[in-house]
Amino acid sequence: MILGSNGAGKSTIIKSILGLVKPSRGSILFEGEHELTALAPHQIHKLGISWVPEGRQLWGTLTVYDNLRMGGFIEADDAKISQRIGEMLERFPRLAERRDQVAGSLSGGEQQMVALARALVSGPKLILMDEPSLGLAPIVIRDVFELVKEINASGISILMVEQNVRQALKVAKWAYLLEVGRVVENGPSDEIANNESVREIFLGGRH
Amino acid sequence: MDLFLQQLINGVIIGSTYAVVAIGFALVFTVLRVINFAHPEIFMTGMFAGLLAGSHISDNFFVVLIFGAIGAGAVGLTLERFVLRPLRGRDVLMTLIGTLGVAIMLQNGMAKFMSPDPVAYPKSLQVSLLLSDDIILTSTQAVNFIVSILLLAGVSFYVRKTRYGRATRAIAERPDVAAAFGVDVNRVSQVTVALASVMAGIAAVSVGILYGSAWAFVGLFYGLKAFICMLVAGNRYFEGVILVAMMLGVIEALVTGYVSSNFRDVAAFTILICVLYFRPNGLFGSYDT
Repeated sequence: MILGSNGAGKSTIIKSILGLVKPSRGSILFEGEHELTALAPHQIHKLGISWVPEGRQLWGTLTVYDNLRMGGFIEADDAKISQRIGEMLERFPRLAERRDQVAGSLSGGEQQMVALARALVSGPKLILMDEPSLGLAPIVIRDVFELVKEINASGISILMVEQNVRQALKVAKWAYLLEVGRVVENGPSDEIANNESVREIFLGGRH
Repeated sequence: MDLFLQQLINGVIIGSTYAVVAIGFALVFTVLRVINFAHPEIFMTGMFAGLLAGSHISDNFFVVLIFGAIGAGAVGLTLERFVLRPLRGRDVLMTLIGTLGVAIMLQNGMAKFMSPDPVAYPKSLQVSLLLSDDIILTSTQAVNFIVSILLLAGVSFYVRKTRYGRATRAIAERPDVAAAFGVDVNRVSQVTVALASVMAGIAAVSVGILYGSAWAFVGLFYGLKAFICMLVAGNRYFEGVILVAMMLGVIEALVTGYVSSNFRDVAAFTILICVLYFRPNGLFGSYDT
C-alpha cells in the first residue's frame, strides 16, 4: 500500500500506472518487461491491470449488470463474460438482487461492491485501489478490507492507496510512505506501522 | 379536425427526420465532447451522394439509399480522422471552429460543384395517396417516416444491447474509466461518427425523395432544428431526444397550420429559451462534461 498526506502524489501514481496521466520523466515497468508510459490506457488494461477508482466512479446510468459487462469489455466472448459475471454475483449476493437497477441508485457500500466486482471481471493480475473505504460506514469498511484480503489470497496483486491507515496496514504486506512525490520510507507493513514518524502522522502518535 | 390531423401527420414526419439528425449530434457530442457543426452538412452530402448515384447508376430506391449512406459515412470518417482526432483534448473552441470550417467548405463546395439552387431528385418511388382526399399522406411521406423510425430503433438497440454501444454510453459518462477498462476511445469515436453520418445520409436521401429536390443549403434548416432538439432534451437519454424532436415537428406543423409559417421558427426558439431558462441541462438531463 501507499500512504502519504494530501498532495503527496498517491492518486497520481495510480493514474500514471493506468496511463491516464503521462509522467514528465521516468519509466513504469510492469512484470519487468512492459514499459507502461509508452502505452494507451486500453492497452495497459489488456496487460492485466485493473482499477477501483476513488469514489467508485461507476457508470451511474448503466445497470449493475452492464457495469460488470463493461468491466469485462476486453473479453469479446459473451458466454465467457456471462460466466464470470455469474461468479461475481454469487460472490456478492446483494448485487445479484440489484443486477438490473442502475448503479447510481445503489448505496455507497453496494456501489463499492460493484466497483470491486467490476475490477475483477476481466481477470486481472494487478488491481489498483484508490481509497476503497472512502465515504463508507465503519461496518462496511470492515467488509471491504475482508474482501481485499480474499482477492489478494486468490493470487491477484493489489496496490492500494488508503486514508484508513491503521486497517490498511493490517491487510497490506508492504508499505510505501510518500512525501510530495518521493518515497521516503518503505518496508514490511508491520515495520512501517511501528515507524516513529508514521505513528505520529498517521496513527495518532503516542503522547 | 382535418387540419389538425393533417398537421399532426406532417409534424410527426418532419419530426422523425429531426430526430435522426439530432441523435447524430447527440451521439458525437456525448462520445467526443464535440459539437459537430459539420453534421448537418454531412446530411446534405449524403443527399447529393444519393442524387448522383440516382442519376448516374440507377434510380432504384435501395441503390440511392446505399450511396447516400456511403457518401455521408465517408465524409464523416474523413472529418473524424483529419479534424476531430487531431484536435481531441484541445480547447473546445478549436473543434468548434474546425467543424464549422468543414461545414462552410462542404456547403459552398457543393453549391459550386452542383448548384446553389435546389436540384431535382431522382424519382425512385412512385408518389401515391394513401389516405382520403381530405387528409394527405403520400407514399413518400410514409417511406420517409418508416426509414427514420428504423434508423432510430437501430441506434437505440445499438446503444443498449451491443458491446460497442455500451462502451459508447460508458465513454459518455466517464471517459477515463472507460479507457482504463480497455475501451479504445479513438476506435469508438470513429465508429460513433461513422454511425451518426450513415444515419444522416440515409435520412437525407429519404428527405430528398420526399421533397423531390436536393439543396446545398438544406443542412442549415435541419441542423438548427436538430441542435435545438438536443439542447431541449439534454443528451443523457437518446429516447428523450427522439421524443423532443417528434414534439418539435408537431408543434411547428400546428403553428404553421393555425398561425402562420412565419412563426414556425419563432415557436422553436421560444421553446428552446424557455426550457433552457428553467432546466439548463435539458428536460431529461445531460452528462457532465
